[in-house]
Amino acid sequence: MTQAQTPQQPVIEVNNLVTHYGERKILNDVSLTIQQGEIMVIMGGSGSGKSTLLRHMVALENATSGSIRLLGNELSKLSQMEFYKLCRKIGVSFQGGALFSSLTVIENIILPLHEHTDLDRMTMEIMARMKLQVVDLAPFEDLMPAQLSGGMIKRAAIARAIVMDPSLLFFDEPSAGLDPVVSSALDELILELRDAMQMTIVVVTHELDSAFKIADRITVLDKGEILIVGTVDEVRNSNNERIQNLLNRRFEEEELDPDEYLRRLMGQS
Amino acid sequence: MAAPDQKSSPTQVLESVGRGAAQFAGAFGFGAHLFFQSLYWLIMGRSKGQRVRAEPLFAQMMVIGVLAIPIVSMLSVAIGITLSMQGINSLEKFGAQHQVVFMVALSVTREFGPLITGILVAGRSGSALAARISTMVISQEIDALKVMGINPVRYLVVPALIGMMIVLPCLTLWSIGISLVGSAFYVAPQIGTTMGAYFSQINASIDAEDLAHGLTKSLIFAVLITIVAVVDGISVKGGAEGVGRVTTSAVVHGITAIVLTDMVFVFMTTS
Repeated sequence: MTQAQTPQQPVIEVNNLVTHYGERKILNDVSLTIQQGEIMVIMGGSGSGKSTLLRHMVALENATSGSIRLLGNELSKLSQMEFYKLCRKIGVSFQGGALFSSLTVIENIILPLHEHTDLDRMTMEIMARMKLQVVDLAPFEDLMPAQLSGGMIKRAAIARAIVMDPSLLFFDEPSAGLDPVVSSALDELILELRDAMQMTIVVVTHELDSAFKIADRITVLDKGEILIVGTVDEVRNSNNERIQNLLNRRFEEEELDPDEYLRRLMGQS
Repeated sequence: MAAPDQKSSPTQVLESVGRGAAQFAGAFGFGAHLFFQSLYWLIMGRSKGQRVRAEPLFAQMMVIGVLAIPIVSMLSVAIGITLSMQGINSLEKFGAQHQVVFMVALSVTREFGPLITGILVAGRSGSALAARISTMVISQEIDALKVMGINPVRYLVVPALIGMMIVLPCLTLWSIGISLVGSAFYVAPQIGTTMGAYFSQINASIDAEDLAHGLTKSLIFAVLITIVAVVDGISVKGGAEGVGRVTTSAVVHGITAIVLTDMVFVFMTTS
């Protein structure tokens, strides 16, 4: 894997982030920095707070305390218009794609250009087709989202996320619900985007294979707390019991015989 | 021993009423906030780089208005004829069946035209808007709009609201006209008058104030239908079942809001 360029200034800074849903603490004093051009994978089990952290990073949630700086801008201090301007520099690929069901694939991709630029329709279509080629979806531009497979929806969502050439790209569970071949192709695409477009990429996932394949650094979250921020090798070789439990959980599942799995599921073990 | 029935205890009833009132107040406040936000983005959108575009507005007007013309026409004719039949039947007892034109003209223009059109559009377009918004919430499309730097109120609510505010009074005007035409076909032969005389009498029976009364109500109904649909749509919880629930509640809440507001409006303008 190609390493990211030399770190300069952090493009994302999360400082002492605490957030609650009602009485429940979801994120507990989370701090991390992400450098220009790196792929940071945030991983953890279900309910670890990783998707919540991502939602805070793109200002879809407000924290109880703490702060987040994105490209030098502190999110909580931005006016609405300043935030909308900042949004042009970020792209987000949601877990389910979040394509607009009433628009075709190409109309979905054109939407940010249509809303934020004064380009004519033909230029916007050319730009959208270029992004569709990047995600290998060019022949499907006139289809509706309902006509696409899960993998194609994710790729279309990526094309929409990168159409404004953002410097920051966020992925929420890019491999969720996909078969291993499609999932692996998406991993390759994420690496290509980083290398070809010099993007800083944040990926939230619980897929260990995917995380180890694409990450420059990994943040492991458990019960709203950061267990480690480090390279793939640092995470793999960590002596922390909670991290090892998290890593081994996957291997347990993989080694489980299907009949044994069913027996356990039925409570017959 | 069986546990006492807690549901019927006065404390429980009081608590339930209090919770309902708080929810209503919250929804009302959010609705008012949405309405003023919509006006803000309509006026300030261009200068803030969030202009309201014409295409979605026309699309909304097409869906809410033009496509509703056949059903509005059919119901309006039926209402006009029904009112005429009831009117002649009632007024005959006093030998005043010739006054039916006056009665139909006023009741259609001031009451039935706006009310029937409002209820129909609440059922047809209010439910569709609530379903659309709630589906977008569930599939994270609203979140996608936000992170793309597109204000969801400006992009989704303003075209629907303005489209409704333009189209509903037009539909109401159409409904009033069609009702009166429908009524004419029944009333003219029944009371032994010509169509020309019938419409002359209609013209003499209603004035601009009556028409303004009906159209002002339809404008208020337009705001109510849109805001209720959006508030219900955004409040969706769960998946497809939640969408079905908010779609139904948007129709029920919309029609309730229309009928109650109509009563208050009539009280305020006639007393």
